[in-house]
Amino acid sequence: MANMIENSQSSLGSSVAKFLREYYIYFVLVAVVVLLASANLDRFDLFERGNFLNERNIINILRISAPLLVICGAFTLLMVSGYIDLSVGSAMSLSAVVYAMLAINGVPFLPAFLITVCVGVLLGAINGFLVVRLKITPVIATLITLSLYKGVALLLVEDGVSAIKSSALAKMPKWFNDYGRDGTLLNLPAAFWMAVAVTVLLVIVQRRGVLGKYAAATGGNPTAAKLSGINTGRVVFLLYVLVGVTAALAGIARSSFMSLGDPLSGDGMELTTILVVLLGGTAFSGGEGKVLRSFCGALIIMSLTVGMLTIVPAYYQTLVLGAALLIAAASNHLVSRKGTS
Amino acid sequence: MSVHSDTFALELDGLSKEYPGVRAVDNVSFTVEKRTVHCLVGENGAGKSTLVKMLTGALRPTSGKIYVAGKNHTPTSPQEAREGGIATLFQELHVVDELSVIENLTLGMEKKRFGFFVKSDLEDRVVATLKAIEPSIDPTAPVSSLSVAQKQIIEIARAASSGADIIIMDEPTAALSEREVERLFGVIRRLRESDVTVIYISHKLDEIFELGDNVTVLRDGKHIVTKPLSQVNGRSELIELMIGRPVFQDYKPRTTVTDEVVLQASGLSNALLKDVSFDIKKGEIVGFYGLVGAGKTEIARAVFGADKYSGSIALNGKQVGHSPREAIAAGIALVPEERRTQGLFTSLSIRENIPVMNLPRMSAGGLYRSADEVSAAQEYVERLRIATSSIDKHTEKLSGGNQQKVVFAKCLFSQAELLLLDEPTRGVDVGAKTEIYEIIKNLADQGDAVAVFSSELEEVLGICDRIFLLFDGVVREELANGPNIDISHILNVVTGGGEAAVQ
Repeated sequence: MANMIENSQSSLGSSVAKFLREYYIYFVLVAVVVLLASANLDRFDLFERGNFLNERNIINILRISAPLLVICGAFTLLMVSGYIDLSVGSAMSLSAVVYAMLAINGVPFLPAFLITVCVGVLLGAINGFLVVRLKITPVIATLITLSLYKGVALLLVEDGVSAIKSSALAKMPKWFNDYGRDGTLLNLPAAFWMAVAVTVLLVIVQRRGVLGKYAAATGGNPTAAKLSGINTGRVVFLLYVLVGVTAALAGIARSSFMSLGDPLSGDGMELTTILVVLLGGTAFSGGEGKVLRSFCGALIIMSLTVGMLTIVPAYYQTLVLGAALLIAAASNHLVSRKGTS
Repeated sequence: MSVHSDTFALELDGLSKEYPGVRAVDNVSFTVEKRTVHCLVGENGAGKSTLVKMLTGALRPTSGKIYVAGKNHTPTSPQEAREGGIATLFQELHVVDELSVIENLTLGMEKKRFGFFVKSDLEDRVVATLKAIEPSIDPTAPVSSLSVAQKQIIEIARAASSGADIIIMDEPTAALSEREVERLFGVIRRLRESDVTVIYISHKLDEIFELGDNVTVLRDGKHIVTKPLSQVNGRSELIELMIGRPVFQDYKPRTTVTDEVVLQASGLSNALLKDVSFDIKKGEIVGFYGLVGAGKTEIARAVFGADKYSGSIALNGKQVGHSPREAIAAGIALVPEERRTQGLFTSLSIRENIPVMNLPRMSAGGLYRSADEVSAAQEYVERLRIATSSIDKHTEKLSGGNQQKVVFAKCLFSQAELLLLDEPTRGVDVGAKTEIYEIIKNLADQGDAVAVFSSELEEVLGICDRIFLLFDGVVREELANGPNIDISHILNVVTGGGEAAVQ
């Protein structure tokens, strides 16, 4: 009898723990939203007076978040497969520069968009080649391309100018801003809806797709994956290409939003992306992680960042983000340890 | 008993190691005389490795005492064991590829002052030892340039020059050529003359008779006997002591074996295999039996394309490609030796594990329907009677037997005609074992060809129609299973005795 009670208690405890592990990110998101909503901004002169979460601020946050939102899903799949891409920020910068150059030289929207996406494919394929074919450690390989891609982006911008932008000689076309800024559905820009579309697609890939299953298998147990006949090299290569494509989409979104092609616009993006993916509960060692949870992680981080802009003094912001990463990593560690005990 | 004289090099007093449900070593007491080569023999799982691990500090005894030259020996690490006078030569290689031969030999034994190395005669000593075993190895060469056998020699030289009073050698000749074995024996004899005691573990009984002074037999974790080899009446007595009990043989001839050859392997050779040829017929269960290192896993992995080999493997007359992917596509599936590290995705659920070897079977355009996944999982959970509350349970949480059944389900879902089962019941409880045997027999009855690679004789004798005996990477003999099978002959063959040794 005593045994039975003990059993049912422990299974209750473990199912609560399982529930928390599964859904904690959504609770955190709600908590952040409530926290920010209740912040009274009368004392601050930034944004509008009144509640922080008014329509304009929400739209603003989602608009700025578009690049991070579009990258984090593919990045999650890559990390689930046990690999990492530190070059996303540089790939994003390079794409932003390429896109702006095409636009300022008179290439219409759609070709410019597609060419930039192709650049993303190429950048991802280079990473995949270095890691899969040349078998360079992922961290080292993508640190190399982090430098390379950024170097190319800087080279593309003429001396004495900080970015590709309207000047006396050439003007950015009128449409350039539309993609990242102009409200479409629900007053949100196309870039945001692109991020949502990519996320929906990747959620399906993760739940139903062969690629999603193979990514989880490769990251969870590479030896067993090979012995199960999975071409792990091809899986990893495809995921790098996917990350490259989303980095290009992020570059387009960012350059459209800022109406310039800044070769430094993606700086630090790799760290922010890792932060939100880890916050979403993805295991650093691979095997576990969910696209949708990273999406929520990105929303949390962006809300906090923007919220902090108005509430926390600038000096503290990086520190607070670091603390958030620490909490994410520590809880990740605790959760995965619980899983094995 | 409280006085422990130092007349013995090593004395074990009531040594036990318990695991939940198992006594791996059960109240073992014996003594090892100084300046002898003391052999330790027993079947797989007799407790030899556990015993060695306790001597070297890798495991702590549950109870009992160890005395080295009369002093209590309670090491907690290999380092401490060596300080206590015991050096060990493990089966696996522990060399640092990036360092030179001589740096490897002196690693961890260097004389140091203020964090810097001080020159000593250590280098000369180790080089002399190395030269005595294998003069062709250049001490300044990087270890990465050496062959596996040469690396093994480095390990031997390192143990031999460590200045320990007792050196434990666990299967040291597994990767050595005959000439190298002869040289090693010379070194061991010289060590004995210089007051070193050697504890020698080997499955090769010929080596034991050639080299040993005394022998200790372990069986099922218990100490059976320790006596001088001069008083042992040949291989057969040693084998009898090792088996001890009559081997239970429960084979009933099966009627579904056909003459149709499914798999034809000819002349398989690689680092471990030497010219291995065999065939497997439709509806047949074939067993590969041999001791550790005989080449069972290597054959399974070669057929499955997981290891490189030369020679040819044909399934239904068609050549099979050299990769697991091609093997699976051709209709071969492998249940690997280590299910947790090689077979199962422990971070995934049962439902997610089962279809993974053949996802294209239920997907279109890169997507699959979860309803198909659920129905596949349910089908195999029922068919193999996997005990679980839900198909969404993580395989991490299942018992060993149920985990193994999930790995079986993965292979069955791939629709293989030939199943390679490497140690199919290792780490599985008795009940699940019987169920797995039933599953295997049912598969063969339905027309699958099955190969069982096992180091458990009872398993092979219980279910296999034909048995290949392996020793040292070679198929030594092929036997048809049946009531008249000669078990001591089998044991003789797999421990290196040839036809000639049969009475």
